[in-house]
Amino acid sequence: MGLGFIFGVFGVLFLFHAAYSTIQYRGLLKIMEEEFSGPPMNVVLELLLGFVFCVSAALTVPGNFLSIHPDSEENRIVSLPANLDFMIFNHRAKALPLEIDMKLKH
Amino acid sequence: MVSKTEETQLNRLENQVDNGGGGAWDYLCLVRKLKVRRSEKVFKYGLSILNDPKKRSALGPEEWTLYEQVAIAAMDCQCLDVTKDCIKVLQKKFPESKRVGRLNGMLLEAKGSWAEAEKAYSSLLEDNSLDQVIHKRRVAMAKAQGNISKAIELLNKYLEIFMADHDAWRELADIYVSLQMYKQAAFCYEELILSQPTVPLYHLAYADVLYTLGGLENLQTAKKYYASTIDLTGGKNTRALFGICLCTSAIAQVSKGRNKEDKESPELQSLAATALEKDYKQRAADKLGLLTSALRSLKI
Repeated sequence: MGLGFIFGVFGVLFLFHAAYSTIQYRGLLKIMEEEFSGPPMNVVLELLLGFVFCVSAALTVPGNFLSIHPDSEENRIVSLPANLDFMIFNHRAKALPLEIDMKLKH
Repeated sequence: MVSKTEETQLNRLENQVDNGGGGAWDYLCLVRKLKVRRSEKVFKYGLSILNDPKKRSALGPEEWTLYEQVAIAAMDCQCLDVTKDCIKVLQKKFPESKRVGRLNGMLLEAKGSWAEAEKAYSSLLEDNSLDQVIHKRRVAMAKAQGNISKAIELLNKYLEIFMADHDAWRELADIYVSLQMYKQAAFCYEELILSQPTVPLYHLAYADVLYTLGGLENLQTAKKYYASTIDLTGGKNTRALFGICLCTSAIAQVSKGRNKEDKESPELQSLAATALEKDYKQRAADKLGLLTSALRSLKI
């Protein structure tokens, strides 16, 4: 979790630095009165690097992904809920007394 | 629907609480969420929480839900004094509540005074004639008194109004199966499969009913539904694997005299048999001999 977090922080810093560099580059071009076609190559590289860092952090920091297959080992339905709305109380357990005799103390 | 992870979680919590490791409140919440019927344990641990004033105040507003849960569990364990006390506490807090009125009706049911319970439920129904739970309690009461035909009649009338209630369809299917009215039970299971096609246990029950009905078409359909159960459970449902083997051999027996169309490839049965043997080897190795001899007698 720590490493992913550091990656994320670095990724965000790289993105901010790339943005700042692009703004500076545009300012420079305005002074030199040239067209702004796109940021220079190394800024694009830095942008891609920052993107990769951020995405890897986003995937590793939150933890394990949960399975979505309905037939996977974790998700498969094992039993239905007991129909508690239709529960009846005169079953055979009436003849078996409960060993613990507890009362509500109030 | 209880999934495998939830079941392991429930068992783990149950063991933990049984061995004195705490976590009773989590266990009770999980039982309530999964709607399983563990009345003895709920009664024991719920009552111990309620009797401890510190733990009770730590619950906050959830305390009343716990009272209701313990009241129902106490009714199931036949400790009616505890039930009466819990209901009294709830009535003091919520004097005009329908939920408490329903609990009172259930207490009368548990005591066995059917006429009074019927009166209580009808008076509750007068205020709100579309209360689903009260209708279902009346069906349960008819079933408890042994009057199955009245239960079927009430349940059918209920299902005409509330057609989307899966529990009611399931209950009706169970009643029909107990009376051996398999065609009607198959209809109920079809409704269940239509509304919830991803629950494998409905497919399994439907296949069981079709297999019981017998006849070539039913057996072929049953085999298809056993196969879909295996698909939906990732091959872990032993009963469906057995179902495939039995269906194939039954189909072979029924169509022995007729001209062999031979659409049936024996692959499915051999695959199912292999899967069964692997499962038995892993989980019950000493019963593997029984399994192989049973499967061999099926292939004849």
